[in-house]
Amino acid sequence: MADSRPLRCAVIGAGRMGMVHGHLLQVYPGTELVGFVDPQSGAHERLASQGLRAPVLAEVPELLAAAQPEAVFICTPTHTHLAVARECLVRPVHLFMEKPVATSVADADAILALAREHRVMHAAGYVYAHLPIVEEAHRLLAEGVLGEILRFSAHAYISEVFGPKSGWFFQRELSGGGVVANMGSHVLFILGWMFGRIRRVMATTRSHASAVEDSAHALLWFDGGVTGMLDTSWSMPGAQMLDYGITIDGRQGTLVLGREQILLHLLRPMGDHPEGWSEIHASDLPADTAFDISPHIGGEAFYRQLRVFETACRTGRLPFCSLDEAANTQRMIEGIYASAASGQPVEVA
Amino acid sequence: MELALDLSPPESKHYRSWNERLRYVARYSQPEEIHVACEMARAVGVTSVMAVLDRRTEAALREFQIWRDLSVWAVVPNMYAFIRDLTDRGLVGAALARFLRLRPVAMVATGMNALRELGPLARSDFSAGALWLAQMELAAAQRLRIRRVFLHPQLTEIALAGRVAGLFTEFARRARALGLEAGLVTHNPVVAAEVLGADLENFAAIAAPCNSKGYKMLPDRAACESLFRSNPTRFWALDVAAAESLTLEAGLAHVREVGLTGVVLDVRTVMGRFPRPYPR
Repeated sequence: MADSRPLRCAVIGAGRMGMVHGHLLQVYPGTELVGFVDPQSGAHERLASQGLRAPVLAEVPELLAAAQPEAVFICTPTHTHLAVARECLVRPVHLFMEKPVATSVADADAILALAREHRVMHAAGYVYAHLPIVEEAHRLLAEGVLGEILRFSAHAYISEVFGPKSGWFFQRELSGGGVVANMGSHVLFILGWMFGRIRRVMATTRSHASAVEDSAHALLWFDGGVTGMLDTSWSMPGAQMLDYGITIDGRQGTLVLGREQILLHLLRPMGDHPEGWSEIHASDLPADTAFDISPHIGGEAFYRQLRVFETACRTGRLPFCSLDEAANTQRMIEGIYASAASGQPVEVA
Repeated sequence: MELALDLSPPESKHYRSWNERLRYVARYSQPEEIHVACEMARAVGVTSVMAVLDRRTEAALREFQIWRDLSVWAVVPNMYAFIRDLTDRGLVGAALARFLRLRPVAMVATGMNALRELGPLARSDFSAGALWLAQMELAAAQRLRIRRVFLHPQLTEIALAGRVAGLFTEFARRARALGLEAGLVTHNPVVAAEVLGADLENFAAIAAPCNSKGYKMLPDRAACESLFRSNPTRFWALDVAAAESLTLEAGLAHVREVGLTGVVLDVRTVMGRFPRPYPR
């Protein structure tokens, strides 16, 4: 598709994430927001008051007929994703699916199969993978700067749940789970992108405030031999936005990935990287974002994520954040829950 | 050059490690540590404090203003707290909790305004909701000496993306009516200038990233600096140390070169000026 027209995009589900995607689709020069789907009465006025100017329709079929989108952003509650994807794919529309993509591996695989069957592009909304510093860490690992990768330790913490909570987000059958599915999954996605397919999981989870799990420890074994641990909790004081970190050990050194910098320790020089400690700061990486919708949460990653998806739709080449990669994340999530329930390691493949 | 201290909640910032985060968050949960930060800031020439008005910060600043002349720039509404309340209590519950914290006189004033705006508020109108929340927080903070009031950046960026110019116009008008100067904090100053047009003049200060690395300067450093040079007293430099990757001196030198006359400093940048070990 060498077409330079803006890609016609619609958003299904006008909650917080739907609103963020809607604004970006209006701001980003390569896309045009052509419609919303939201069944709530008053959604049109609410969205219009924020400057979201596209028509709001009650049902997906109405949207497809009236707005003729080329791509849809599915931002409805997680348990509805498969049904919504099925409704959308009566026509070949590219799919962007907010994370987590499903409440089960079976649903995630079914969504992926649908997308493949209809030969459309697809992507999942694991936005932190699009931060320049995370992409740089991935590039360094792919370049082999650490040599053979052996192990990692990771954390994902946020201050969100300190008492009973209500709403669909805290009902496992609707949201797919608790902190693992909804916060830790950001880091699980990055780990899968870096280390490949998951093979085995052993985990414990605890519910100490809400009806879903509020914290988890997970040991992960990847196909390529990398092993490591993720510790995640949404009941940690001190972090209004997701605080993540990944430390990766290889035969040639160690890489510590934070939000704004990479610390690298190498046993011998590797390319441009010296022996010993060095730092790569986010401010030293090329800037390529025109608008920041949410400087503190996600930041420029939202804009970059949209560009990756739009480029995929135009070129017909699947992005790194495709639903294939998201299905790998879903296997980790489900493996963690299965292992926590059984108290045993779980083979995931 | 005029300096202000950014006292946004330590929980809302990025750190190099989890331990560093906990150290800062624990330190600035103590009112006396906020006082120490303000004293250190004054020692490097800071004359104002920009702060999101959570209870802890508001109380500490109120005490500090008893013995020091330090002007407060309030960033309203506190969106992090509001979003959390929204999840826990719903829209009405979150708004009601703020309303019930007000003193009776403020309740009457904000209640009357809410009644006038009942239709838009009931329809979840973005501007009406944002302005009402801002008004309630300002009313709750009446015992602080506030000079400037800034719209919270989370609302500002959404309003800029949607080009909701009316929100900015009304925010500035209401600030003036309260005898305050209006301000904005944004990572998208070029879009802000487009959206606001001539209304830009209604904002006494617009804080936006400005550093020699071009970090967080959107859409790019050249466009931002061109805008800053065209209106050097209105724009204030944020993130002059590019997320602590530059020294304060280098940051300030660059701001001087661009021609801006105001800088908002991060607490960590100020702390970096004082010899370690810091006595705690």
